[in-house]
Amino acid sequence: MRMPTPDAKIISKRSIIVERLQQIVPRGAFGENVIIDSAGLSAYECDGLSAYRQLPLVVVLPETTEQVSKILKYCNETGVKVVARGAGTSLSGGALPLADAVMLGLGKFNQILNIDYANRAVVTQSGVTNLSISEAVSAADFYYAPDPSSQIVCSIGGNVAENSGGVHCLKYGLTTNNLLGLEIVLMNGDIIKLGGKHLDSEGYDLLGIMTGSEGLLGVITEVTLRILKKPETARAMLIGFDDAALAGDCVAAIIGSGIIPSGMEMMDKLAIKATEEFVHAGYPSNIETLLIVELDGPLDEVTDLIARVQNIVNGLGSGYIRVSESETEREKFWAGRKAAFPAIGRITPDYYCVDGTIPRARLPEVLMRISKMSQKYKLRVANVFHAGDGNLHPLIMYDANKLGELERAEEFGTEILILCVEVGGVLTGEHGVGVEKRDLMEKVFTEEDLKQQQRLKCAFDPNGLLNPGKVFPTLHRCAELGRVHIHHGQTPFPDIPRF
Amino acid sequence: MKTNFTADQRSNPLMAMMEENLRKCVHCGFCLPSCPTYSVSGDERESPRGRIYLIKDMLEREGAPNKEIVTHIDSCLSCLACMSACPSGVNYQHYIDYARHYVENHHQRRGFERFMRMLLVYTITHAKVFKIALKVAKLAKPFSRFFGLKISNMISMAPTKLKTAEITNEARIYPAEGIRIKRVGLLMGCAQNVLRPSVNEATIRLLTRMGMEVVVSDGVGCCGALSHHIGKNDIARDSAKTNIDAWLKEFDQRGLDNIIINAAGCGTEVKDYAYMFKDDPAYKGKAQKISDLTRDISELISEHQLPTVKLSNQPNIIYHDACSLIHGQGIRLEPREHLKSAGFEVVEIPGRHFCCGSAGSYNLLQPTMANELKDRRLALIGEVSDSNKVSILATGNIGCLMQFASGTDLQVVHTVELLDWATGGLKPPY
Amino acid sequence: MNKSLIPHTKKEVLDIIRATINDKASIEIIGAGSKRGWGRPYQTSELLDLSKLSTVTLYEPQELVMTADAGTRMEDVRQILAENHQHLAFEPPDLSLLYGGSKNTGTLGGTVAANLSGPRRIQSGAARDYCLGFVAISGRGEEFKSGGRVVKNVTGFDLSKLLSGSFGTLAAMVSVTIKVLPSPEKTRTALVFGLDDKMGIQALSETLQGPFEVNAAAHLPAGIAKNSSIARINTQGQSVTAVRLQGPAISVEKRCQGVKALWQCYEGFEELHSHNSDGLWSEIRDIGSLLNNQSNQIWRISVPPSEGADLVAKIRSDIQCKTFFDWGGGLIWLATDGKLEGVGTIIRSALRLAGGHATLLRGSSELRLTSDVFQPQEPALYRLTKSVKDNFDPGRVLNPGRMYEGI
Ligand SMILES: Cc1cc2nc3c(=O)[nH]c(=O)nc-3n(C[C@H](O)[C@H](O)[C@H](O)COP(=O)(O)OP(=O)(O)OC[C@H]3O[C@@H](n4cnc5c(N)ncnc54)[C@H](O)[C@@H]3O)c2cc1C
Ligand code: SF4
Ligand code: SF4
Repeated sequence: MRMPTPDAKIISKRSIIVERLQQIVPRGAFGENVIIDSAGLSAYECDGLSAYRQLPLVVVLPETTEQVSKILKYCNETGVKVVARGAGTSLSGGALPLADAVMLGLGKFNQILNIDYANRAVVTQSGVTNLSISEAVSAADFYYAPDPSSQIVCSIGGNVAENSGGVHCLKYGLTTNNLLGLEIVLMNGDIIKLGGKHLDSEGYDLLGIMTGSEGLLGVITEVTLRILKKPETARAMLIGFDDAALAGDCVAAIIGSGIIPSGMEMMDKLAIKATEEFVHAGYPSNIETLLIVELDGPLDEVTDLIARVQNIVNGLGSGYIRVSESETEREKFWAGRKAAFPAIGRITPDYYCVDGTIPRARLPEVLMRISKMSQKYKLRVANVFHAGDGNLHPLIMYDANKLGELERAEEFGTEILILCVEVGGVLTGEHGVGVEKRDLMEKVFTEEDLKQQQRLKCAFDPNGLLNPGKVFPTLHRCAELGRVHIHHGQTPFPDIPRF
Repeated sequence: MKTNFTADQRSNPLMAMMEENLRKCVHCGFCLPSCPTYSVSGDERESPRGRIYLIKDMLEREGAPNKEIVTHIDSCLSCLACMSACPSGVNYQHYIDYARHYVENHHQRRGFERFMRMLLVYTITHAKVFKIALKVAKLAKPFSRFFGLKISNMISMAPTKLKTAEITNEARIYPAEGIRIKRVGLLMGCAQNVLRPSVNEATIRLLTRMGMEVVVSDGVGCCGALSHHIGKNDIARDSAKTNIDAWLKEFDQRGLDNIIINAAGCGTEVKDYAYMFKDDPAYKGKAQKISDLTRDISELISEHQLPTVKLSNQPNIIYHDACSLIHGQGIRLEPREHLKSAGFEVVEIPGRHFCCGSAGSYNLLQPTMANELKDRRLALIGEVSDSNKVSILATGNIGCLMQFASGTDLQVVHTVELLDWATGGLKPPY
Repeated sequence: MNKSLIPHTKKEVLDIIRATINDKASIEIIGAGSKRGWGRPYQTSELLDLSKLSTVTLYEPQELVMTADAGTRMEDVRQILAENHQHLAFEPPDLSLLYGGSKNTGTLGGTVAANLSGPRRIQSGAARDYCLGFVAISGRGEEFKSGGRVVKNVTGFDLSKLLSGSFGTLAAMVSVTIKVLPSPEKTRTALVFGLDDKMGIQALSETLQGPFEVNAAAHLPAGIAKNSSIARINTQGQSVTAVRLQGPAISVEKRCQGVKALWQCYEGFEELHSHNSDGLWSEIRDIGSLLNNQSNQIWRISVPPSEGADLVAKIRSDIQCKTFFDWGGGLIWLATDGKLEGVGTIIRSALRLAGGHATLLRGSSELRLTSDVFQPQEPALYRLTKSVKDNFDPGRVLNPGRMYEGI
């Protein structure tokens, strides 16, 4: 992975930068808030994609929006790059540090500011974990719907930056559909409020644009979210298949029948084995593919839907169906799924999580081709994914300490992603482009397409200092993008027919 | 995770094992929210994942660790919440223990600090010395503000009233009431028997009432945890060996069905003897045997039956999980079930479980963080205590007990004291 | 009058925009022109009429996805979907009664460009939440696409959001991909009568906080309810507070009982079944028949729902107006004398405390010139908005000044 060449001039000014940061964010009760020693920096050297590592120039842990604003303004004026970091769980290297960039950690933005049931909204600082928001409103039977499997740790700011999804997004939408407002700080230090407890933006939908912007447009300091009432009943079904293709058919049949389950996930044998060891969720061990289908709503509706799904499954000839009998059991079913990625760490030293989306109907075919590739690359692969939205997560297992295995895993991953695009899908469904899929962007987008995205970047961060080297395979300078091409005194588009 | 250990480093079996353990970490961060120090500081160096990286860095580089690494290792509570949270199966306990040991051997602490740490272990683990120290501390209470935070914290932890233990550490046999169903060895604990002898008294009353013969074996002393947790592995191993030998002697001579521990911190340690000696041909088997025999008091009760409950109108109580029980030994439900069967209404502390900050000698060595954690825990407890008319806080470890007692008006007791009371024993405080 | 250009292909759209850039001229983009009254009045030399780009190019009901040219009539979209028991969950309104013109003339491109939504906004979102991808020509004369045809997609910035609600000021969309959903099996509306604004919104709020999956919640004061075409509503002479429940029959039944139980403290609980339900909610969605005085100016105010009633009371102390509430109190429709000046200032100063924004949806061109049609922005936000425009349409070629002056 090639990263932009670090700017030696900036690195040589490190002590001045550190000094200024220390002025802006003084020492706190529990230690320095500016981290400079190499050991301390190593705690920030990577995110959830640990194959890529880099010590940052310096880490700063601000506590207030004003401090963030001052830091960004200073960096903007002195040409210092900045990488924002939430909980560091990105699986695409979005929060990968740069040798010549300040890493701005939002770990201290960990307070929920306001819970407002009348408006069904929560206002929180951006470093608060996704799960703790649901926990905070759980006593009143509310929850925050998007639930990435990493919800126990990932920050809500990171969720916004990545437009994270989760097992319940099939019915309740992604982060972007559940977001009401943001406070952001631009690279020039401007603090901007977008949205609030009301709906729709005034002017351009910058709230929507910030969502999924992977830390390239602004730093998110505060988030207003929509919370939902917990459904009266929710029951999860475990459905086992001897054949992955059949499971794929089942997914298509359920959606095709007009049912939108609140979650529909798939796990294969390897994934089942690994998670069962940690969670003891009671997954069956003698099947090839497991579907977890959750249905929610009033009791009668759920009962009715379960019967309908059962019919579909019976029609396909699956032998194994188990329906959760209690809330605890339902949570257990999900706990296994949610811990599935890291649990793979029990059966392999390293794994590489791929994240492509495909049209649901292509599921069986794509799964088959992935298993062929697995033989070709001689690397095992476990599949755990959001089947309902066609969002695949093949987990390629490798050993980073073995020469060449990482490279092979990456090639394997690339081939999977190209296949996804080929069948009408995309490179990433929820983990973001980051550095990992950066160089594949040209497989999906033309030069012209990418230019427009970069123009947006230029509108927010004209100096290109926020999280550079991510998302875009080549970074154009904004001045160059902004130029209107006029050659030899001709008009910009000389060969245009006149109307 | 990718590691960069040299072949030479890997030839050290301990180091190789650390590497293997380390490689399980997939950097998912699932452990972060469970970590008390991270939740307070928001600084990843103060998180399990961060510490794992810092330690890896230290081990790979070899030589003297830098002072920052030492700071973040020292600030770890060893509460092991991270280990329960880790889906990937990283054994953080062994990892941090090794790191502390490494620091102890490769890092020169400042003279005063070194002295304090040594003194601490020596004092607490030697009952007589400890008693004297506590008396001095009591006298010093009014003057504590003249000392630094660490010392003043030590002084403030000392109880104002000290009961002389009726039951001493001396070897003795307490016969079973009625038909004997088991013969069990009790670990009296070093600090516990000085600070709170009633815990052992209640344990013995309860167990004998349950039909067990309780023996305090000659030679059994401190479990070694305290030294172990500040990296003094040699002292810890010596203590462990002494205990192993003493219990095995008892086992061989008069038989021993179980070893019972009522101080959860000690329980975690004794259960880990097997690991401690797994590369020691002489002690490997012996240690395994002792670890296998060891039960927390609540586990033993679960295997048998609580005596008939004699009390009525039991008060509501709040139960705090000692980290060494819930994470160290995976015991969560048992104490609650026993308290409920004994007729107590158990009120849960809202929110996620966190360490109280006691953590062995942590509250003495890291007072700022320890006090913050105590205050946070007590604030949460306060949220439910009044509304549920609770005046008693129960826990399964002496450390937590003392930690809480120094900051709340609630009466803080050991679970076993309540169980004893409800089944015909004495009502705490005695 | 500006010159009308009617392209039949994407290439022609591209050529027209490029030619306009060459000429340093400007264009107004229209689909069917059904919402031309929405926005600041502005002058362009040309009119780009996309209504002939009107083919549905992809529709896979099983995949819940449709791609259609920007000029595809909403009526056609609705019909094709209905044949497959599917619909657009964001319930785009038909604003023809508001702006005049024949019924159901809007286009898909216009729907997205105005980020339309209906009563189901509170549960299911707006056009922005359904636009999965598009192909467009920017104000720089560059053709580009964004997004794709799958729901879960974070490949690059979400430019679909940028174009949703940008009123054609950044790029001209030529084709749009949207997510579609199964139509609800059953619909029922629960009603109570005679509550004042505050109590009505309180009742809605309680219901929305319950487990009833209410997907629309409105309160119509007596003066508005009487304009309804539904007999059960217009004959009461009282206000109406209504919530809609949709889904499988058995579930709707249950949830409706739940709402009934919750509302037993109010008098006169009633239910509307499918036909009347649909009638009522399309009136609320399309606004025009409820606020039927054609000479009125009409404001659309978005607020935190709990602030709705107080905000209206405050505005009423300064101006005479008719109002009703959708979105559980979070959306206020306000109609007042079309000649009255300074209404925007009054509304917006009332909004300052409550939070939210107001848009002049209909007004004379003088009014739309003198009052800000869209909520004025704080300086930093305005700078950012301008910077976005500069990057996509530096020459101010596309719908210049429709949203904000200079943008
Ligand atoms: C085991 C595991 C399971 C996962 N499961 C899912 C899943 O089911 N669904 C899913 O969508 N994702 C999943 N993820 C990916 C990841 O958790 C999400 O992308 C998450 O939203 C990242 O949040 P974070 O706080 O860790 O952000 P980080 O990793 O710290 O940062 C991610 C990106 O966001 C930027 N960023 C972070 N905070 C801010 C801020 N405040 N302002 C501006 N930019 C910011 C960073 O610069 C970076 O580009 C999983 C990850 C792991 C390790
Ligand atoms: S939970 Fe386990 S695997 Fe994940 S970061 Fe923590 S120690 Fe590593
Ligand atoms: S043992 Fe406790 S304090 Fe130490 S890293 Fe783990 S959770 Fe944090």
